[in-house]
Amino acid sequence: MPKLKIEDLARIREQARRATLLREGAGRVKITVHLGTCGIAAGGRNIMTAVLREIEERNLHDVLVTTSGCAGLCSREPMMTVEVLGQPPVKYVDLTEGKVKEIFAEHIVGGKIADRYALAVGSERVM
Amino acid sequence: MISLTINGTRTEVREGTTILQAARFLEIPIPTLCYHPWLKPFGACRICTVQVQRPRGYELVTACNTPCEEGMVIQTDTDHVRQARRVVVELMMARWPNVPIVQKLAAEVGLEKPRFISEMRDEAPDACILCLRCVRICEEVVGACAIGYEDRGIKRKVVTPFHEESEACVACGACAHVCPTGHMKFEPEDYRGKPPEFLLGPNTAIHVMTPQAVPKVPRIDRESCIHFKTNGCQKCVEVCEAKAVNHEMTDQELEIEVGQILVATGYDLFDASVMAQYGYGRLDNIYTALDIERMLNATGPTGGQIRLKNGQPPRAVGIIHCVGSRDENYHRYCSRVCCMYALKFAHLIKERCPEAEVYNFYIDMRAFGKGYEEFYSRVLHEGVNVIRGKVAEVVQAGWSKQEEGTLLIRCEDTLIGKLREIPVDMVILCNAIEPRRDAERVARLFGLSRSPDGFFLERHPKLDPVATSSDGLFVAGCAQGPKDIPDTVAQASAAAARMLATIAKGVVEMDPVRAEINEEYCSGCRVCNALCPYEAIEYLEDKNVSRVNSALCKGCGTCVAACPAGAITGYGFSDLQLHAELEGLLAVR
Amino acid sequence: MPYRVHCMVCAGTGCVSNRSLEVRDALENEIRKRGLQDEIQIVTTGCNGFCAVGPLMVVQPDGIFYQQVSAKDVPLLVEEHFIKGRPVQKLLYKPPEAAAPIPKMSDIPFFKHQRLIALRNRGLIDPEKIEDYIARDGYQALVKALTEMTPEQIIEVITKSGLRGRGGAGFPTGVKWQKVRQAKGEPKYIICNGDEGDPGAFMDRSIFESDPHSVIEGMLIGARAIGARYGVVYIRNEYPLALERIQIAIQQAREYGLLGENILDSGLDFDISVTRGAGAFVCGEETALIASVEGRLGDPRARPPYPAEYGLWGKPTCINNVETWANVPPIILHGWEWYSQIGTERSKGTKVFSLVGKVRNTGLVEVPMGITLRQLIYDIGGGIPGDKKFKAVQTGGPSGGCIPAGMMDQPIEYIAPDGKREARDYLDLPIDYESLTDVGSMMGSGGLVVMDEDTCMVDVARYFLAFTQDESCGACTPCREGTKLMLDILNRIVDGHGTMDDLRALEEIAWVVKQTSLCGLGKTAPNPVLTTLKYFRDEYLAHIEAHKCPAHVCRALNTYRIDPVICVERGHGCGVCRRECPEKAIFGEKNQPHRIDQTLCKKCGVCVEVCHFNAVIVE
Repeated sequence: MPKLKIEDLARIREQARRATLLREGAGRVKITVHLGTCGIAAGGRNIMTAVLREIEERNLHDVLVTTSGCAGLCSREPMMTVEVLGQPPVKYVDLTEGKVKEIFAEHIVGGKIADRYALAVGSERVM
Repeated sequence: MISLTINGTRTEVREGTTILQAARFLEIPIPTLCYHPWLKPFGACRICTVQVQRPRGYELVTACNTPCEEGMVIQTDTDHVRQARRVVVELMMARWPNVPIVQKLAAEVGLEKPRFISEMRDEAPDACILCLRCVRICEEVVGACAIGYEDRGIKRKVVTPFHEESEACVACGACAHVCPTGHMKFEPEDYRGKPPEFLLGPNTAIHVMTPQAVPKVPRIDRESCIHFKTNGCQKCVEVCEAKAVNHEMTDQELEIEVGQILVATGYDLFDASVMAQYGYGRLDNIYTALDIERMLNATGPTGGQIRLKNGQPPRAVGIIHCVGSRDENYHRYCSRVCCMYALKFAHLIKERCPEAEVYNFYIDMRAFGKGYEEFYSRVLHEGVNVIRGKVAEVVQAGWSKQEEGTLLIRCEDTLIGKLREIPVDMVILCNAIEPRRDAERVARLFGLSRSPDGFFLERHPKLDPVATSSDGLFVAGCAQGPKDIPDTVAQASAAAARMLATIAKGVVEMDPVRAEINEEYCSGCRVCNALCPYEAIEYLEDKNVSRVNSALCKGCGTCVAACPAGAITGYGFSDLQLHAELEGLLAVR
Repeated sequence: MPYRVHCMVCAGTGCVSNRSLEVRDALENEIRKRGLQDEIQIVTTGCNGFCAVGPLMVVQPDGIFYQQVSAKDVPLLVEEHFIKGRPVQKLLYKPPEAAAPIPKMSDIPFFKHQRLIALRNRGLIDPEKIEDYIARDGYQALVKALTEMTPEQIIEVITKSGLRGRGGAGFPTGVKWQKVRQAKGEPKYIICNGDEGDPGAFMDRSIFESDPHSVIEGMLIGARAIGARYGVVYIRNEYPLALERIQIAIQQAREYGLLGENILDSGLDFDISVTRGAGAFVCGEETALIASVEGRLGDPRARPPYPAEYGLWGKPTCINNVETWANVPPIILHGWEWYSQIGTERSKGTKVFSLVGKVRNTGLVEVPMGITLRQLIYDIGGGIPGDKKFKAVQTGGPSGGCIPAGMMDQPIEYIAPDGKREARDYLDLPIDYESLTDVGSMMGSGGLVVMDEDTCMVDVARYFLAFTQDESCGACTPCREGTKLMLDILNRIVDGHGTMDDLRALEEIAWVVKQTSLCGLGKTAPNPVLTTLKYFRDEYLAHIEAHKCPAHVCRALNTYRIDPVICVERGHGCGVCRRECPEKAIFGEKNQPHRIDQTLCKKCGVCVEVCHFNAVIVE
């Protein structure tokens, strides 16, 4: 390994930024992909893959992804909940990979909720 | 300079001075134990605790290794200090109650009734009190690092590595010297291999031979000096104010040109251990005359007292004359001086141990000199027993308890015609005076002859006892033969006078009969150099020729005959002269 | 594909010895089986501190804390949490008598009240990956120190921050650095004291195992400030995992050029070597440590001269504790004002404590100075198990003192609450006898042993004294002989043969040993005795005069008695005790009350253990 310069330290830190934030549980946006039995059956795994791919392609460092079980609304799966820090969570339903792309562009990066795909804003309190 | 206060007294000291040094300078007593002036202060025993004032109270520190600081206020005798010292000594008494130095410290700090008994209690009076001086001196001063510690805490012990005999130990005895309890013992052996309860010779590496030595200067014995073994120590260099000690000194060889030489190389004493029947070197309390001279000397190891090995005065002493002299097996000559000094011993022993019986075993009593016979009579009157007869052997007695350790002299008393066995406590052997061991080499060096007994040969036993057959070479003293002091002085004065006379004359009369080398013919082969019995031929390196020293040449003609080039002429005996003489003789009708 | 979950498996020594690595292996297998290896990263970290409930795991970014995880829980865990997003309830932490578990680590009281500075990276990085350290601002403080500050400024910052030596003595770190900087001699050395000999203490071990680079960075900054060329990490041999991790860290730092020559192009040359201890407690003392590094016998020597002037190989040496070094980078990075706002007036910053003993949540905690005992024991520690009464806390291990229940609300810091200095402080030295027995709360190196009503304080003093007595090097008379005699007296007391003379002798010897010993071991060995004598004198008197041990720990002083009512009504005179008694001292018939013959009873306590009905009363 070559000797480090000061710039290299900053570079390594930047590269690991995503991991660092993730481990601290800190992030600007948290996406919950619902993967209960219904979710998985409806193709939730592909949605998960799509989400992760978006994160990678857009080189986003402040987005956390987590899973949860059945949310209760099985007929509208696959679903995901997008929670931006300081804002109420938004549930997106009937997802496809294309919709995921748009939601990323409009809401997660753009900051504007993609209403047409949203079920509701806000949710019941979860543990 | 640093100023500080000790016990209310202000003083100034140099930087780096410890509290203990400052206190000693002011003559304030502080008890110590592990401290030793030769060693770096260690602070193991904690006895030298003193009290130092601090901004918010006080602190107890050890005086031996705490350096003085500016403005320090020290007290050496407060209640706290006394209590601390008392308890520390009490802790030591718990473990080593019978060691004298610990008991002394206990008295000093006012400890009357020690309260504690340690599980590791050691009742021996010479127990190791872990002052660690021995380890420190071996490391710091001697430089051998032959002992150290093992284990820790209360099980700590001072040992050699792996409990084996240490190879690094140089047997200097430094550890025993600084050990305060005697736990470290140094058991040196003198040159006879016997452990001397009192040493008849020097017992330190740097010593003055005797207080009456001439010159009275110390010398260093290379065999036992620590510096030559480990490159350490050099304490003598440190303490000598005149800076006179120099370990680098070596023997120097000087070349001096002289005209006359006086050989006065002295004598050696016969080694009495060769005569095994007398037990010298094997049994205790058997000494030679020189040993006894040392013992009788007021500056000797016993202060002039006659003592056996066990420190007691002898009840009976046997003095055996003619050990190695007048003996077909060793020396046939008489050593001349022994009878008189044997009588002197008898007299002195009687004087210093009046209760002792003294026996002299002699062949003939030779009291030839001025006042000698009278002295002999006196000694006889003092009750000395003289027994005429050679002693056959000296053995250990010991049939009965009283005789244990006693020696038995078996002899023949020819005056009463009986064999006798005489029990004595001490035996003195009058061993013979011999020529020096290197007499042969010296003789060859100077071209001296030797008489059959090995001493150097004088030119004439009656008419010329100081000169030798070589001109300019004289001999005096016991080198020429055994003699006592008056005779030696007389002979030496004579030789000196003869030499001075020659010098005063200013010229040396030479015999016309001598040889001379023709330098033109001489090729520098040097055959003649070795042949000359008088060492009269020298070799000139720059010219590559030999030359005869006319003053030494006796005209013996050896070189004349030997010279392969025919370059040497014997004056008066040249070929021409011999021919002329022959012709002259043959011409007479 | 970026990871969406980091599963942080604790691999400190405690959890490793509880098979946490098996958990890790099971996790990796299961993840791979489910095809999730590109989404889920398994990271082994250093000690998280909550050792009572290991093996631990934290799932981020959810922040869910799992306890007592075993390899067979793994398939369920992966299925439920990683795939379905439902935390596994039975593995969550549940405080006793609580209705519901607390899933998030940040909500658990044990963690909530802590403030991590020295342990800032614990549980968040893989200690064997330097990149993880760099990712969390690692070596940024070094950059700042090298590019924006002069050595004098670095020392000024450390001094103003109020950082004090965390090894126990509490000497102001900045002052020490300044002394070494000014001392004459080249090359200068830096030593990290990782000997940590106090029994039960594992703060330094934890730092080595969780975040070794924090120590390296601290030493680098120190090297810059002092002008040192070489560093030595002295670590006790009994810490194999810590040793391995610090060696890996040093190796990686070297490879990256952070140790060696011309570090970060700043002209700083500095390298670190590791020396292992050889099993002597006394080698935690700085002069004995230096002797050990030099290959000599680990005996302490008298001071002055102090290591700051004459240390390793005779050169100026700065020795600091592991935790002290770990605190240096954050101070440089965030400034001295930030640090000095934490803690109290005289004791700034935080301290790592190992909370052990009779407390529910045993483990390693880092809290701001000035926290009270009450907060430590009850809020963080979860209180005394079995609802027993809290008695005292022993701080500082064998060199330390005790804080009795009466002082529970006093803030813990370096000086005693009554304002008098007591810990060894070079600027002011221990005071007179009266205030020595005034010894109050003393921090020490961070060991905190919680004791309840079932602890005998005399026995505690004896336990610690036995340790120091065994570890004494034997050079000076008071420590070598005095500790042994004190131990003999304490043994007599707990056996019931102590007298009042013994007590007086004990106090006197303790005072002399404390005042006159050559090194810190001897000077602090009597502390447990002195502090327990001060606060629990009644227990000593009970042992001596009443021949009783109030906590019933000293068996020789106990009386064992069978309650006849319980024995018959509950136990039906079962006779188990009669059969088990090794002295045949119990008499009785079946269905009859049994009794113990006191003249035969050897007080072994077997009867108490075997009685199922608790019919044996200990008095």
